Amino acid sequence: MLLVAIGAMSLPSCSEDKLGDTIFPDVDETLDPNSYTYKLDKFLKENYLDKYNLTFLYKMADVSTNMNYNLVPATYDNSINLAVLCKHLWFDVYDKLAGEDFLKTYGPRIIHLIGSPALNPQSGNEIVGLAEGGIKISLFKVNDMDINDPEMMNEYYFKTMHHEFAHILHQTKTYPNQFNTISVGHYDINNWQDRDDNQTASLGFVSTYASSEFREDFAETIANYIVKTDAEWNRLLELAGRGWEPQDDANGYTWYYCYFYYPNNDPNEEVKYISEWSFFTDVNEDGSVHRYFYDGNTGEVIEVYEVPDNDGVDGPDAILEKLNIARQWLKNEWNIDLDELRQEVQDRQSSYNIEELRKQVTDQ
Amino acid sequence: MRKYFNIFLLTLVALASVTMVSCKNETEEIFDQDAITRLANAKQYFTDILTDQGGKWKMEYYANGDEPGYVYVMTFRNNGSVTISGENKWISQLNPDGSTYGSETSLWDVITDNGPVLTFNSYNKYFHLFADPDDITDPEALDDSDTDETGIGHEGDYEFDLMKYSGDTLYMSGKKYGINVIMTRLDGSIDDREYMDQTVAQADSFFKKVIPQVYLNLPNGKRWVVKDGYTSILTMYPEGSDSITTAEKHNVIITLDGLSFMNPNTFDGYTVQFFDRQADGSLLCRNDHQTTITAGPLNKVFAIQSLTWKADTSQMGGAFKAKLHEIINKLSGYNSSKFLSLQMAYDSKANSYSIIFNIRSKVKGKQVPLTATFKVNYEMINDNQLKIKYTGEMDDNAHFYVDADQGNCPAIIELIELLGNTYTLSTSSLLAPTDMRFVEDGNASNTIYWRL
Repeated sequence: MLLVAIGAMSLPSCSEDKLGDTIFPDVDETLDPNSYTYKLDKFLKENYLDKYNLTFLYKMADVSTNMNYNLVPATYDNSINLAVLCKHLWFDVYDKLAGEDFLKTYGPRIIHLIGSPALNPQSGNEIVGLAEGGIKISLFKVNDMDINDPEMMNEYYFKTMHHEFAHILHQTKTYPNQFNTISVGHYDINNWQDRDDNQTASLGFVSTYASSEFREDFAETIANYIVKTDAEWNRLLELAGRGWEPQDDANGYTWYYCYFYYPNNDPNEEVKYISEWSFFTDVNEDGSVHRYFYDGNTGEVIEVYEVPDNDGVDGPDAILEKLNIARQWLKNEWNIDLDELRQEVQDRQSSYNIEELRKQVTDQ
Repeated sequence: MRKYFNIFLLTLVALASVTMVSCKNETEEIFDQDAITRLANAKQYFTDILTDQGGKWKMEYYANGDEPGYVYVMTFRNNGSVTISGENKWISQLNPDGSTYGSETSLWDVITDNGPVLTFNSYNKYFHLFADPDDITDPEALDDSDTDETGIGHEGDYEFDLMKYSGDTLYMSGKKYGINVIMTRLDGSIDDREYMDQTVAQADSFFKKVIPQVYLNLPNGKRWVVKDGYTSILTMYPEGSDSITTAEKHNVIITLDGLSFMNPNTFDGYTVQFFDRQADGSLLCRNDHQTTITAGPLNKVFAIQSLTWKADTSQMGGAFKAKLHEIINKLSGYNSSKFLSLQMAYDSKANSYSIIFNIRSKVKGKQVPLTATFKVNYEMINDNQLKIKYTGEMDDNAHFYVDADQGNCPAIIELIELLGNTYTLSTSSLLAPTDMRFVEDGNASNTIYWRL
C-alpha cells in the first residue's frame, strides 16, 4: 500500500508548456522588380511554380547535390534557354497530350540546373541527369550547351528530360516485369561505359547506358525513341542487326567493325576489318549485294563481307520488343500514346526558335 | 526479517529515485534572439556590408594549397548581381584573343546554411573556372602531356562561410574545402581593369627569374633561402641546410599591398603571413615588423655568377662619362671601331669575373663585333660596398684595342681601374635588384649604372 501511495505521489505531473509562435518568419514570395533576375524569376513563377507547384532551381543549391562531386552553377543565360526549352519540349507537350493535370500530379517538384557534369574520377563516367524519388530532376552540363548543335542538345538535354521523367513515371507505377527478362544476362552495371554503342545495339540496347541495368534500359528506350528521328531510329535498328568485331588500333583504342575482307581475296589469309565508308556496294541483276574496295597497293578489287552476328541476340527484335512493352505500359497506365508524344516532341524539336522562346522571359 | 526490511527500504529508495522526475522545463537562454532571427540578421548584416560604399572588393582567392593565390575585383550590387574581374594565365584560355584579363557579371547571394554563406550561385567563367571539374591544361605548358584529366579540376570553392568583418576586411572560409579567403573593401570608383593591370605589374616586379634566390631574413639574424618566387609557389629552406631534405613549398599571393602566404607559417619560431612592400622594394612582415624578404647584400647579388650586368652608358657620371667619351673617340679612329656596350660577367671557363667591352671593328674589310675581355676580382667591403680590381690580364682582342702599337686606347684600362675604388651600391628594389647603381665613396659624381 505504502509503495502504491509513494508511487502515485511521485508520478510525473508536469504540465506541458504551451507552444509559442513559430520562430520561422513568413517567407515573402513577392518578386522584386529591381532584381537582376526578375524576368526569369517571374517566368518561372508563372510557368512552373504557380502552374505545377514546381521549383525551377537555376541558382546553385549545393545542399541539393552530392557533395562528393565537384559541381559548378549553371550560367544565367543557359538557364533561360533551358527554362523555355523544358516548357516547350516537355511540359507543354504533356499538357497537350495528357492534359494539364497530368504533370500537376506526376511531374517533378524540383528541376535543378547544374553547370558541369557530375564526373566520377574513378570510373570516368559523367552523370548528365538524375531523377530522385519521383520528386526532383537534376539536369547537368548546362554550361556546355550549344543551342546550334541539335545532336548535342538531343543527347544531353532533351533526351535527359524524357529519360528522367520516364524514371519518375516508373517509380510511381511499375512497368511489366517482362521487360526485365528480355536482355537478362547482357547487362553490365560495372563496365557499361567501356562498351561500344554498336556492340550494345547488337545486344538489343538503344544505348550503352541502357545496357547498364534494366531500369536505365527502360528509361533509355522511351527517351531515345522520343527524341530520335525516324532516320536515326531506323539506323539504330540496322546497326543492331549486324555482327561486330572489336579491333584495337595502334593507340590502344578499340573499334568495332561489321565488315571484313581477305587480303588478295585469299581466304587463307588472315582477315582484315574495314569501315563501311571505305568500300562501294554493287547490286547484281539477281538482286544479290556485293561490296568491294579497291586496294591501291596491289591494284586489286577486294570483296568485302559482313561480320557474322554471333552474339546470340536478335538486336532489332529485342529493342522493338522492349519498345512495345513501354508503349503499352504508357498507354495502359498513363493513357499516353508514345507515338503521338514522339511526333509532337519531334515537331517541336525540329522547328523551335530559341530567340523566340526566350522572348517569353526577356520581353516581359 | 531484517533482511526483508532492508530489501523493502532499498526498493523504496529505488522507486522514489525512478519516479522523482524533474519538472524543470526552463531552458537557459544564451542568446537574446532565436536562431532563425539571428541568422536572418547575420544575412542582412553581411549583405549590407558587401553592397555598402559602392560594393567593390578585392578578393585574395586560393583554389587549393598547391597553386598561387589569385586576385579578383568584385562589385556587389543590391539587385543580386556581381561583376567579377580577374587577370591570370587561366583566363587567357577562355578568351578568344588570349587576353589574360576577363570581367563578367553573374549572381551572388548571402544564404543561411549553418551560418551566413556568401555564394556565387550562377556561373561566372572567370571565377568558377577554379571550381569546374573540367580537365586542366596549364596554358604555360609546352604541350598537353601534363593535362590533368582526373575530373576534379582545381577544387576551388565558390561558396564561403562568412567568419568575420573587421577593418574593411571580410574573413571567409571555403565551404567545401575550407581554404581561407580574404576580401578587402576597395574604393567604389576604382576601375577594375586598371586595378588588375597594376596588380599584375606589381606581381611581375616582385620576383625575377634571373635572380636565382632571395632570402627571408628573420629577427634572430638567420635566413631562409627563397627560390622560385616568380611562380608564387616559394621553395624555402634554412640557409646552409640541405635543400633537398629541408625544402618546404609555400604558395603566396601578390597584391598591390604586398605578399601574403596562404596560411601563417613558422620559420625558426617566427610566425609570419603578411608582408607589405616598402619604398625600397623589400617586403616587411606586417605581423612582427621585423622579418623581411630581400635579395640579400647587394655586392653579393652583383657577384652572382649567373648574372650578366650591362652598363647603362646614358647614366654614367663623372670620370666614367669622361673616360667613355675618350674611348669612343679613340676607337673611331682605329679600324672604324665603334664602342657598343660594356658588361660585367663571370667567365666559368676562366674561373674569373670579367669586364667585357663589345666593340665593332673593321677586320679584313668587314665590320665584325668583337669582345675585349679583362679579368677582374671582386672585393667586398661590407654588404653594400664593392671594389672591382683589374688583375692585369686581358685577352687578344683586348690587346688589339689597348696596346700602343695597335689601338692604343689606354682609356679602356683607365675606366676599368676606376672601378677599383670603393663604390656604394644601391638599387630600385631590394627584392628584385635587376638594376644596380655604383657611386664612388668620396666622389659622388663618379657613378655607373648597371642593368640585367
